[in-house]
Amino acid sequence: MDVSQYLEIFIDETSEHLQNLNDGIMTLEKEPEDKDVINELFRAAHSLKGMAGTMGFKRMQHLTHDMENLFQEVRSDRMKVTSALIDVMFDCLDAISEYLENVKSTSDEGTNENEAIIQELNAILKEGTAANQAEENSGEEEEQQESDIEVKNQHEFALSEEEEENIKTAQDAGHKVYEMTITIQKDCLLKAARAFLVFRAVEDYGHIIVYKPSAKEIEEEKFEQEFSIFLDTEESDFEKIKTAASSVSEVESVTGALIQEEELRGETEESDKLDVVEPEESKTETMPVQSNAPVAMKQDRKPASGKGKANMKPVTNRTIRVDIEKLDALMNQVSELIIAKNSLVAIGAAAGEGEESGQSFEEQIEYLERITTSLHESVMKVRMVPIESVVNKFPRMIRDLSKTLNKKMELEMTGEDTELDRTVVDQLGDPLQHLLRNSADHGLESAELRKERGKNEVGSIYLNAFQEGNNVIIEVGDDGNGIDTENVKRKAIERGLVTQEAAEQLSQKEIIDFLFMPSFSMAKQISDISGRGVGLDVVKSNIEALGGDVEVRSVLGEGSKFIVRLPLTLAIIQALMVEIRDEKYAIALASIQTIEYISTNDIKYVESKEVIHIRGEVIPLIRMDQALDFEPAEDDKNLTVVIVQKGDKTAGLVIDNLIGQQEIVIKSLGAYISTTKLISGATILGDGEVALILDVNILM
Amino acid sequence: MAARKLETMEDNRKQYIVIKFGNEQYGIDIRYVDNIVRLQKITRVPKAQPYFKGVINLRGEVVPVMSLRLKMGLENDTFTNSSRIIILKLEQQEVLGIMVDEVKEVVTLGTDEIDRVTHNPKDVKSTFINGVGKNGEDLISLFDINSVIEEKENS
Repeated sequence: MDVSQYLEIFIDETSEHLQNLNDGIMTLEKEPEDKDVINELFRAAHSLKGMAGTMGFKRMQHLTHDMENLFQEVRSDRMKVTSALIDVMFDCLDAISEYLENVKSTSDEGTNENEAIIQELNAILKEGTAANQAEENSGEEEEQQESDIEVKNQHEFALSEEEEENIKTAQDAGHKVYEMTITIQKDCLLKAARAFLVFRAVEDYGHIIVYKPSAKEIEEEKFEQEFSIFLDTEESDFEKIKTAASSVSEVESVTGALIQEEELRGETEESDKLDVVEPEESKTETMPVQSNAPVAMKQDRKPASGKGKANMKPVTNRTIRVDIEKLDALMNQVSELIIAKNSLVAIGAAAGEGEESGQSFEEQIEYLERITTSLHESVMKVRMVPIESVVNKFPRMIRDLSKTLNKKMELEMTGEDTELDRTVVDQLGDPLQHLLRNSADHGLESAELRKERGKNEVGSIYLNAFQEGNNVIIEVGDDGNGIDTENVKRKAIERGLVTQEAAEQLSQKEIIDFLFMPSFSMAKQISDISGRGVGLDVVKSNIEALGGDVEVRSVLGEGSKFIVRLPLTLAIIQALMVEIRDEKYAIALASIQTIEYISTNDIKYVESKEVIHIRGEVIPLIRMDQALDFEPAEDDKNLTVVIVQKGDKTAGLVIDNLIGQQEIVIKSLGAYISTTKLISGATILGDGEVALILDVNILM
Repeated sequence: MAARKLETMEDNRKQYIVIKFGNEQYGIDIRYVDNIVRLQKITRVPKAQPYFKGVINLRGEVVPVMSLRLKMGLENDTFTNSSRIIILKLEQQEVLGIMVDEVKEVVTLGTDEIDRVTHNPKDVKSTFINGVGKNGEDLISLFDINSVIEEKENS
C-alpha cells in the first residue's frame, strides 16, 4: 500500500498521541491508581502501534506494542505502577519522539532498535507479572507478536478483496486473466530492473492487475527469485505472452496458466499453502489462519495499477519528489534546446562566411520558441502537486465538528486531484479549514430549524476544486442560512465602521466585505470552532499572499459560497505589454477581458468620474498616466482602453499603445524600494530593458 | 555604532572605494561593493521613494537604484560619461545600486588615518558619514552603509 501520502497525518497524530501519553504518565506518577488515565494510556499506545504498523515502521510498532502490553497488565490489575515503570515509559516516549523526528526528516523511522528499552520493558513486565503468576500470558503475547511479523512476510500470496475484485471485473468484461510466476536467475544483479522489463514486455498484451509481492516491494527488490503477476489481457494465446516475458535476459523461467473464475479459489490456495478457506466469509476469498490476518491483509492491499509513485509526498520542507518520467521529459527538452542552440550557431557561422544554410533563421527561432514553451510547462508540472494532501483531512474534521456542534452534516468534495504549485498547496490548508469550519458553525442551521424550513435535516457542505484558465478555483459552501446582510450591517454600525446613513447606501457585496475586516465576528457566542474574530480576514490575507483572492456569494436562507481563486503558477505568466507614455508595463493576461478603442466623446461622467458605456455595462475609466504619476498631457482624440476584470468588477485602463502578448518571468523589486501595491513586480524584456508589472486588481 | 568602532579597531586597515559627488570625495567600504557598472537605462518606478531612481537589469536580476545625491539633499544627478552605478551587496542577499558621479580609485586606510565624526543633526548629509579619512592631501568622507540604506528616517 502506498502510505506516503498519509505521512503528514501520521506525524501530526503521532505528536498528538505522544503529548497525551506524556500528560497521562505524568498524572499516573501522581495517582498510580487512576483507572481512567491507564485506560487512556492503553488506547494511545494502541493507536500508536496501529498507526506505526500501517505505515510500516516496524521498530516503532515493536516498541509501542510492548508499551501496550505493559499498560494492558496494569489495566487488568496484574501489575502495580512503580516508579521504575514510569521511568521506562518516559524513556519509551523519548525513543518514539526520536523515531518521529527521523520520520519527519527522512520519511523513515531510522535504525535505532532501542533494544535496551524494550528489554527493560519486558523485564518489568516479567517482574511485575511474576508475582501474579501471569508469566505465561506475557510469553504468549510475545510469541503472538513474533508470528505477527512473520505473517506479514509470508502473506504475500494471498489476494486481497480489492485484487479479487479486479480479477473478477476483468473476467466479467470477457478478458482473460493469467497468473504468471517469473523466476529470475540467481546471480542477477538488478532484479528490480529485470522485473520491470518483464512488466513492460507483458504489458504489450494487456495490463497487470495484481503484483505479488506488491509493485513497490518489487521495485525495492524485496523478493527472492520469484514473483507473480496477474495479467488482464484479451490475448488468448498464452504462449505468446510467455515468450515475451522469457525473452527478457536473466529470466530463468516463466510459468503460468489461465485463471478460470471458479478456479480462483483453488489457484490462490495453491500459491499459499498456509491458507485455509475462511468459512462463508466471502465466496472467493482465502484467508490465512493466523488471528492477525486482517491487519496483515491491510498491509498487503494496494491499488492494482501500482502507479502510486507519482503521488508520493515528501515530509521534509521545501523538497519535492518528482516522477522520473517528468524528469526524463525535462532532460529531453533540454537536449532539444541544445540542438536548437547549435543550429542557430551553425546558421550564424554560415551567414558569417556568406554561405546559404539549409534551415532558415526564422524556422529555428520558431523551433526554439516551441521548446522553451514546453520546457516551461514541464518545469511547472514538476512543481505541481494535487491538493489532495491538504483536503484529505477535511472529511474527518467535519465528522468531528458534526459531533461537537451537534449538527448533522455531510461534506462532499470534488476535484481533489486538481494540481497547484507546491508552495501554494502548502499554504492552503489553514484558509480552507477555516472556511469549512465557518460553514459548519455559522452556515448550517440546527436540525430543527432546517426541518422547519423544509430542508434536508442533514446539512451539506461542499468543497469543489477545478481549474479555470490560468486559475484554480476552490469553492467552499453550504446549503445553510446564508449571510444575513442586515445583521452584518447592524454589527458594522454598532462597531462604528460605518454610519447609519452610509450603511443604507451599501450594496450587498460591500456589506459582505465587512466580514473580511480584522476582528469582525458574527458569532453570537464564542465557541471553540469559531467566533473569535480571527477569521475571514486571515483567510483573505493568506489567500492574497498567494496571489489569489476570495469572493463571497450568499443567498439568505439558501446558503453561502466562498470562492477562492488562486493562480496556477507564481513565477511565469502570460502578459499584455502596453506602453504608457514612453514606459512599458505588463498587465497579466488573465485579468484582461477585452481591449476597446473609444473616442473621447464616448466618455460619460458619473459622480464626476469618467465612465464608458459598452455593451450594456458601465465601466469606470482609469487614466493610467495619472495613476502612474506622469505629468498631465493633452488628450488624444482616440483612446485605447484595456478592460480588466476581477470577479464581477471591471475597469477600463486608458493606455497609450499596445505592444503585444508575451510570456514574462516575474521578478521581485527587492526589499528596499517601496512601491504602491499597483506595481507587483518587474520583468526583463528581450532587449534587456526592465518593465514593471501592473497589478490591476487593486485599481478596482 | 560602538560595535562598528570595535570592528574597525580589530581590522586595522580597510579598503575603500573613493567616489566623487561634485568636488567632494566619499569612501565606501569595499566589502559591501559587489560590482561597479556603467550607467544604463533605468526604469522609473512610480510612487517609489523620491530618492530611488528606479530599477535596472543587472544580468537578469532586477536591482533598484538609489540616488545618494537626492538622499543626502544634494542637487539631482547629472548623467555624464563618468557616471557609474555601484552595486552594493548587503545582508540577506539583497542587492542595491547607488548612483555616483565618478569612481576615482581604491585606497587603503588604517585606523590612525580616520577621524571619527559625530553627527550634526542639522545636516542630513552627516548622518550617513561615520568618519573622515585622510589620503595624502585629500579628505574622504566615509559612508556608513547601513545608515545610507536605512529607510524613512530622513526621507
